Amino acid sequence: MNRPLTLLTVFYCLGIFLGNLMRFNFWIMIALALAMLGCLNIFLKNNRIFLILTLVLTLFAGCLSLENYRKLPSCHINNFVGYRSSSLYCLKGFIDSDIETKNNYLEFIFRPEEVQLEKRGWNCCGKVLIRMDFAKDLNYGDNLMLIGNLSRPYPNVSKYKNYLIRQGIYLTMRIKDLRQVIRLTGKNGNSFLRFSRWLRDKSEFVISGNLSDIPASILSAMILGQRRNIPWLVNDSMVKTGTVHILVVSGFNVGIVAFICNLLFKILRIPRTYRLIFTIICLLIYCFVTGASNPVIRATIMGVIFLCSYFFKREPDIYISLSLAALIILIVNPQQLFDIGFQLSFASVLAIVFLYPRLKSLSGAMFSKIKILQFIYDSGLVSFSAWLGTSGIILLNFHIFSPITVLANILIVPLATLITFSGFTLVLSGAVCPFLTNLFSFPASMLINLLLVLNMKLAKLPLAYFSF
Amino acid sequence: MVNFTPEERKVILFLLYLCFCGLILSNLIKTRPQIKGIVYPGVELARLNLNKISLEEIQRLSLIPPKITSQIIEYRNIHQKFTSLEELKDVKGIGPKRYEKLKNIFFVE
Repeated sequence: MNRPLTLLTVFYCLGIFLGNLMRFNFWIMIALALAMLGCLNIFLKNNRIFLILTLVLTLFAGCLSLENYRKLPSCHINNFVGYRSSSLYCLKGFIDSDIETKNNYLEFIFRPEEVQLEKRGWNCCGKVLIRMDFAKDLNYGDNLMLIGNLSRPYPNVSKYKNYLIRQGIYLTMRIKDLRQVIRLTGKNGNSFLRFSRWLRDKSEFVISGNLSDIPASILSAMILGQRRNIPWLVNDSMVKTGTVHILVVSGFNVGIVAFICNLLFKILRIPRTYRLIFTIICLLIYCFVTGASNPVIRATIMGVIFLCSYFFKREPDIYISLSLAALIILIVNPQQLFDIGFQLSFASVLAIVFLYPRLKSLSGAMFSKIKILQFIYDSGLVSFSAWLGTSGIILLNFHIFSPITVLANILIVPLATLITFSGFTLVLSGAVCPFLTNLFSFPASMLINLLLVLNMKLAKLPLAYFSF
Repeated sequence: MVNFTPEERKVILFLLYLCFCGLILSNLIKTRPQIKGIVYPGVELARLNLNKISLEEIQRLSLIPPKITSQIIEYRNIHQKFTSLEELKDVKGIGPKRYEKLKNIFFVE
């Protein structure tokens, strides 16, 4: 067996899946696992039994980690609120997310550190989703005191409720009046996160200052992961053509960032070892700048493993790096296994890695001697592999089947690559030589326009998509 | 003599392409305003024209309840066309909240 880590990851995922299906007693499972661990000591020399027991134990670990994650600590804010409570709560804590503007209201995640109810106070932990009906200048890390009712999020909208629970949010608070918010002195939160948010704001400022509304919103989504201003129609037509992945920061963007950083450090004549270290640091910063979503975390971990393989003088293996990325994400939060972003991200990479070489060898490795035709053929095969791997998940969750996806990706992905490169050039020039940004903004805007026109035309083709 | 590595040459080439493309487009926009349509995306790529959209198209969006959809079309038929997006507020069933949502989806021409 060449890739034991991959097998362990599969069993860990299976454990989480089974743990979600069944109800069991945590301590009985722990006792069973410990007994098996004892057996493992006995069968240390028997390879086959050792392997079987290890796999079963990994399965148990998956089950137990999910159960442990779902168990809330006694100080959790959820434990202070009754099922149908109309009491007025006072929460002291800090803002733990970006402030998002949605249909005229503000939304952010609040981390309470103290809860007060009827003049009695307790220390607490957890997260609360706050919705404000008015605009207020708030930032990540601001210390606040909030007064209001706490409620469970939308019991009727189970998908949204499950999504919030996966994020560790069990309660929401609606703020309708300015008097319900009292700003406290000082800042809280992580200074590295604050720095990456500052960097993102600066980059967004360069983009919005040089491009008109529509191209700026698309470029911000493509390179900074800020999707809040994407027009509904653009998003909808990209979902229909199966190209919406270009509006999300993913492995594709992380790869481009690694490439640009490596190239820049190479041009600056930085020795290879330092170059790799600086590239890893840049990738980590980029991961947080874009909001550390599942696809970015996956791609960053894989990128770091690839770069680290130079230090350990080992050949990087894509299956092992993919498994390690999945394992790290699932150990931190086992519920991410049920997140659609996680499933799509891993399924697409796995499909490309597994199917693409096989499809290529099936259809003959060399399609044409003309480079551009060979490139189009290879791109088509990659798109087809990713489509095969993800269409089932998309069909189940979004009820849409898009036969146009392969053709759309062949045309749109190279264009998106050009836009991403010119977008990064625009942002970097904003920091290095701001007088050039205006010049760089024209080609970026033109390429985005071309992308939108092309996508709209593809979405309007007959039999482009079927929605159920 | 300055010696460039292959990577440096590629970066310089890419930046020069961008610079020249920017220069050409900037000049063309100044001299021929019709070129603007090639550089800047038109609003019709990001929003739907409220005066041209058909009942079937608007219903296919599944954004608005069918009752309100027919109210919008009825309003358009009575008044011949929407002169501003604000007029959506006059349609029965569209309050300030729904209007805030719809104003990012439609435009009026």
